[in-house]
Amino acid sequence: MSKSESAGGNRWLIGVIVILLVALCGAVCVGGGVLYFLTQPEANPFAQGGPSTGATPGRQAAPTAARPPATGDRAILRLPGGTDPRTLDPAQVNDTNAGEYVAEIFSGLVALDKDLKVVPDIAEKWEVSEDRKTYTFYLRKEVKFHDGRPVTAQDFKYSIERVANPATLSPTAENYLGDIVGVREKLSRKAAEVSGVQVVDDYTLKITIDAPKSYFLAKLTFPTAYVVDKNNVERGGRTWTDKPNGTGAFKLKEYVRGQRIILAKNENYYGEVKPKLEEVQFILSGGSAMTMYENGDLESVYVTISDIERIQDPNSPLNKELYIGPSLSTGFIVFNTRKPPFDDAKVRQAFAYAIDRQRVIDVVYRKMPLVAITILPPGMPGYAEPANPNPYDPAKAKQLLAESKYAGKLPDITWTTIGAGGSAAQNVQVMVSMLQQNLGARISIQQTDDASFFNTIDDPTKNPYQMFDVGWAADYVDPQNFLDILFRSTSTQNWASYANPEVDKLLDQAAVEKDNAARFKSYQQVEQMILTDAPVIPLTHSREYWLTKPYVKGMIYPAMIIPRLKYISIER
Amino acid sequence: MAAFVIRRLLWLPILLFFVSLITFALGVYGPGDPIKVLLGIRANPETIERLRHEYGFDQPFHIQYLRYVANALQGNFGYSLVKYRDQPVGGLIAHALPVTIQLNLVAIFLGLGIGVPLGLLAGLKRDTWIDLLIRGLVIAGISLPIIFLNPVLTFIFSRRHDIVLTAANLRFSIGPLLPMVQGYWDGIFSAKVILPAFIESLGIIAVMTRQMRAGMIEVLSEDYIRTARAKGLRERVVIVRHAMRNALIPIATILGLMMGGLVAGSFLVENWFGVPGVGALAFDALFSRDYYITMALVLLIAVAYVLSNLLVDLTYGLLDPRIRKA
Repeated sequence: MSKSESAGGNRWLIGVIVILLVALCGAVCVGGGVLYFLTQPEANPFAQGGPSTGATPGRQAAPTAARPPATGDRAILRLPGGTDPRTLDPAQVNDTNAGEYVAEIFSGLVALDKDLKVVPDIAEKWEVSEDRKTYTFYLRKEVKFHDGRPVTAQDFKYSIERVANPATLSPTAENYLGDIVGVREKLSRKAAEVSGVQVVDDYTLKITIDAPKSYFLAKLTFPTAYVVDKNNVERGGRTWTDKPNGTGAFKLKEYVRGQRIILAKNENYYGEVKPKLEEVQFILSGGSAMTMYENGDLESVYVTISDIERIQDPNSPLNKELYIGPSLSTGFIVFNTRKPPFDDAKVRQAFAYAIDRQRVIDVVYRKMPLVAITILPPGMPGYAEPANPNPYDPAKAKQLLAESKYAGKLPDITWTTIGAGGSAAQNVQVMVSMLQQNLGARISIQQTDDASFFNTIDDPTKNPYQMFDVGWAADYVDPQNFLDILFRSTSTQNWASYANPEVDKLLDQAAVEKDNAARFKSYQQVEQMILTDAPVIPLTHSREYWLTKPYVKGMIYPAMIIPRLKYISIER
Repeated sequence: MAAFVIRRLLWLPILLFFVSLITFALGVYGPGDPIKVLLGIRANPETIERLRHEYGFDQPFHIQYLRYVANALQGNFGYSLVKYRDQPVGGLIAHALPVTIQLNLVAIFLGLGIGVPLGLLAGLKRDTWIDLLIRGLVIAGISLPIIFLNPVLTFIFSRRHDIVLTAANLRFSIGPLLPMVQGYWDGIFSAKVILPAFIESLGIIAVMTRQMRAGMIEVLSEDYIRTARAKGLRERVVIVRHAMRNALIPIATILGLMMGGLVAGSFLVENWFGVPGVGALAFDALFSRDYYITMALVLLIAVAYVLSNLLVDLTYGLLDPRIRKA
């Protein structure tokens, strides 16, 4: 390369570099600005509501964090929202996270009240036929959608037909509406219409189910059975819930994915309990909710295990703001009864006696959940206080193991648990060492991600896991939801592959029993039989720990999805 | 030149075909199933079968794949199956992409602004304690795993720290700098951007510093630098006009290559700091087996890398006529 060329080439190169750098700076400043503008709520496709609900003006330049705006004197409740709800479509809801929002925006024929009793909602009353298969609902006449259109029986017919339409792809259609005659036929494209739903007149709806089922009304309290507006759904296309037109006590005012969901009071709400809060803001993601609560940026917050000790200290000012509520759920250790050594009930019983549940809960869980001895959680109808609050008995465990067919030759066992990382969940480790100490069992722990885990336990007849831990929370408030679904020999959720003809027979009887007292008695009998056979060991009944500012009145922490925000007010 | 560009662009569909085929096969045959993730613990066989049928997941692989391709060619990348149920994948990405691009631009900017001067200094003060210090810092910075930096930096900035220097009779407090760690993502002009951008820039700083240092050392040993010095030019002129400018050339290449990475978000950083970008979206999609989202993201990143490589090659062609002819 000659000297002159090199010099000329250099200058040229330098030019290119300078241009690149300037372009980069330009890109950062201009592009960043433009892109930033694009992500503003008014311009992005996920933002809800009109221009007045948009971003706080002038925050571009301010180097402050996006704190929820101060509420001043307005009745605004700010809550931690966690992750984005999967959906706001009642037909698609199948988890509590989404259900929490949907239960406020929409409503149905019946609802659960604060005590988790089924109460009238849009239906003011109903009649059940003699054979207990036909329900006639009489609708309130003053109920309107948020846009003012009155709700009629046709809207309910449309909503149920929509869930049963296979193109809606509802994940809950069978579970919650499958009892209605014709729903399954329509789902499998064998019928064009749900024959079990009839509009008698504008305000009378008749629903026929396939067999007498005492829990049917309880199922109707789930979002799958909520009423939706046909115009809203059909005009909005697949993303119609970006602007949902519901009937609930609150309307969706704004939703910015990953940031916030804002509900506003429905001034025309039909219910007896009128909403008092002007607005409820759910703050999605965004750092430690506990710190935000302590800084006064949230009115209420859940307490995690890392904060529980300092809050339970009676000297802590936060202690007075603590609320502990039940959640209708039970955590289980499950034995696969088709896999040795758990095909022998004595081995399972021995394991149950060898685990000191109270100690696990005291030490690992810092006493946050209640120790579980029964399958049904407290608060569930049919729940019976256990006779022996902690049946920990290592001597009896050893004896049972010695009586089993695996005495002295207990095979190696693998415990599968959800988790990732260097060390498995502490609770599993502690229990494994208890079993090792008391029974000499050699147990290795295998971790897996939840998608693979649920994919595997999903089919009990093929499940290769020997032993695993899993929890179950109530879908509706009836013992059937635990005992029938988890232990009937043919059930998909019969994780233990438990098969006891006597249990199945009693479950059949209980399902058709008219008298609730007798029904709960049968379920208690079933529960005792299962606990004796020990296909599972109940371990925990979770509890909800929440802190709430003293100026928030009427806060409730229900164990189920219920419309709850209307009970809350702010009194400073 | 035009032939070169066309030839390169013709590779794009072939590459996309293989990338999409592999990703799609991993989605279909890999462990886990979006329908079962959606239904969770309450799955019943009837519902699983119905949804699989309605989504066409019970069809043979090639039918599923061809249908996906046919839809994708018409601009329909499907709808989220689980995590953002029924939201169009294109819309989800359109929302996440600007966030990630902004964050990455800030990180690149930081990386350049810190890395280039550090490398320059290290190259000039080669083998002195300054060089060693800079190299040590850079190695430390790139070696600390993000999974460690995330909680540690968050901890540091979310607490108050009382500092007492008895010797100097000083006593003061720093923090907590809550705007940096609290609240939701609010664009790159808020304090929330500092930590994620800094953590993401560490790798870039390391690359820039090392490249700049190596470039300076190489250039400084060139004959023309000796000539310049022999001419009696001032050292500053030698460094700035002759050495530094030449050492910056490879930096431009690296920058060009990084443009492809602009659209790829970091799983760990975005999730930890609640940045609603591509990384967080991909993380959600992977863990819920929401594979239409995964597919679209993989394709997007593949296209971005191909185009940025092409751009770099073109720039090279402009810079060096020998490549242009080849």
